[in-house]
Amino acid sequence: MPVGRLFLKTSAVSKMFSRNSFIASKPDPSKPNMLRVGLAFGSTAVLWALLFKQHRTDVHEYKTRNGLE
Amino acid sequence: MGLLPDEAKVLPPPGIVNRNSVWFGLCGWATAMLHNSLNRRPALKAGLHRQALFITVGWFIGYHLTKFENYKYATLDRDMSEYIRLHPEEFPDKGNSTWKSSRIRVLISVLRFSLY
Repeated sequence: MPVGRLFLKTSAVSKMFSRNSFIASKPDPSKPNMLRVGLAFGSTAVLWALLFKQHRTDVHEYKTRNGLE
Repeated sequence: MGLLPDEAKVLPPPGIVNRNSVWFGLCGWATAMLHNSLNRRPALKAGLHRQALFITVGWFIGYHLTKFENYKYATLDRDMSEYIRLHPEEFPDKGNSTWKSSRIRVLISVLRFSLY
């Protein structure tokens, strides 16, 4: 299989592994997998919250150790 | 700070917007757009949840990397200042430094670049 073909899922069925033909379907952009979307947005929110919390802790630690507060 | 010792907390923390965060965030966004393109979807308009997640992961990694980088540079600066303090004869006040002191300064700045 030419290398270029590996990057194009034109047939939407990869020839590299087999799929059960009873349940296989083309990925349909009009019906998103809401669980995955929800998890993605959820983990995005969690990561931002963690980042802001860590930053707040760091600033507080810096100020305490240098006697600025 | 998992890989940073306790003394690193003395250093000023980087802002939320910092050089590594912006860069890694942009790299994450480019990865998401590339993923869209390779799956024959519109690069910018598709998979926004994926784009947001990748940007966030990059931003998060960049913040901690900046902290780590600041600590490493601070230790190098401390070692250099300590060396200069212990060997004042090599760093005369007036005018030109000695050959040895200029070599040491070059060596330390090269080592800073490689972040030993």
